[in-house]
Amino acid sequence: MKLHHRIRKHLQTLQGVRKEKHHHLLHHLHQKYRISKSTLFYVKEYGPGSHVAATIIMESLKILLFSSVMSSLGGLALEHIKFLFISILPLIILMPALNDMIGDYGTIISSRFSTMLYEGKVSGWHRNKELRTLFWQVLSIGGFLAVLSTVLSVAILSFLTDYHTTLMMGLKVLFIAVVDIILLVTILFAIAIGAGLYFYKRQEDPNNFLIPITTSVADFGNMVVLAVLAVLLF
Amino acid sequence: MSFFDKNFKEIFTSQVISILGGLLAGTILALYTNKILYIPGMLVILPGFLAMRGNISGSFASRLSAGLFLGFIKPTLRKTRIVQGNLKASFFLAIFISLVLGILAFLSNYIVWGSSSIKIILLPLIAGIIANAIEIPLTLIMTFYFFKKGHDPNNIMGPVVTSTGDITSIVALLIAVVIL
Repeated sequence: MKLHHRIRKHLQTLQGVRKEKHHHLLHHLHQKYRISKSTLFYVKEYGPGSHVAATIIMESLKILLFSSVMSSLGGLALEHIKFLFISILPLIILMPALNDMIGDYGTIISSRFSTMLYEGKVSGWHRNKELRTLFWQVLSIGGFLAVLSTVLSVAILSFLTDYHTTLMMGLKVLFIAVVDIILLVTILFAIAIGAGLYFYKRQEDPNNFLIPITTSVADFGNMVVLAVLAVLLF
Repeated sequence: MSFFDKNFKEIFTSQVISILGGLLAGTILALYTNKILYIPGMLVILPGFLAMRGNISGSFASRLSAGLFLGFIKPTLRKTRIVQGNLKASFFLAIFISLVLGILAFLSNYIVWGSSSIKIILLPLIAGIIANAIEIPLTLIMTFYFFKKGHDPNNIMGPVVTSTGDITSIVALLIAVVIL
């Protein structure tokens, strides 16, 4: 009973801790009473004393605004070549799929690298086998799905519309999709490793920074790469 | 560590689901190019509008999953403080970001073309309300459903949210264009 009372008192203290502050009590309670870090974090963020909606809005707003500005800047690149872009219908079909794929890879790379950092597996990251395997896995899946989605987009167009995709145009679109994936996956890996190590060394949780950073770069980068390659090839 | 391990299979499966949704959304976009893409500023809005579903509904699903696993949230549609707070925050963020995207497109149109039509602000706002009125409750129901069926929503909801989100977003934009 006494122990139960002590834990409850600690949890009440935790609820009063400023949201952005990492409190030593989190570590203490985790070590001493074996309460999982996720539970303690949830109590701290959304415990009875907190306003759930306000907490979520305050914590998400800045990064969502940053992400929107980045995406719009990328979109601006496409807006400038709008009429060229609209004339390449397979690329219009591919755009949301490429955007999803690259954004998802940003999330996968970031969350996996953050976990590796916490598990102490990345002291010599350039020699790390797990990281290298992840890179080649993401790259090969991305490359294969880029080819598959290009073929599907051309097939959909010929099935549903009168639009005729020439062999040369199909190959150019395929080239754009594959180069887009290879280039951005490599850039996202470089950013995840660089920024992840930086935030980890500063004793901050890389999870809170890496996903928003990599997804924003993915959105922006995808639009810019599509625009540049479309201008160069068509 | 094998190259074709569990991670490879999970990434591959989730990506196949994700690109199928993306291709369907892209097909709608291509079929209605003259209605959607010819609108000045639409390509400024579109990437952010599509990404918003993942950023907001994806985080919403992830918070719900964490709450479900920790026992703070019960997988029933009864009104609770945490679920209601999450719903309110997600709706607010989605509508606010839709408005911001509209303002950014308006500014780009004004600076580049000298156009001052406020329709480009209203377009993502109306589409954002329509898309999120579908997407956010859908995310809640699906997260609870997968959890109750014994699956980890964290592994499933990401691609589900991006693929359903792409389709609802494009359809909502199309409806908003027709309304305006």
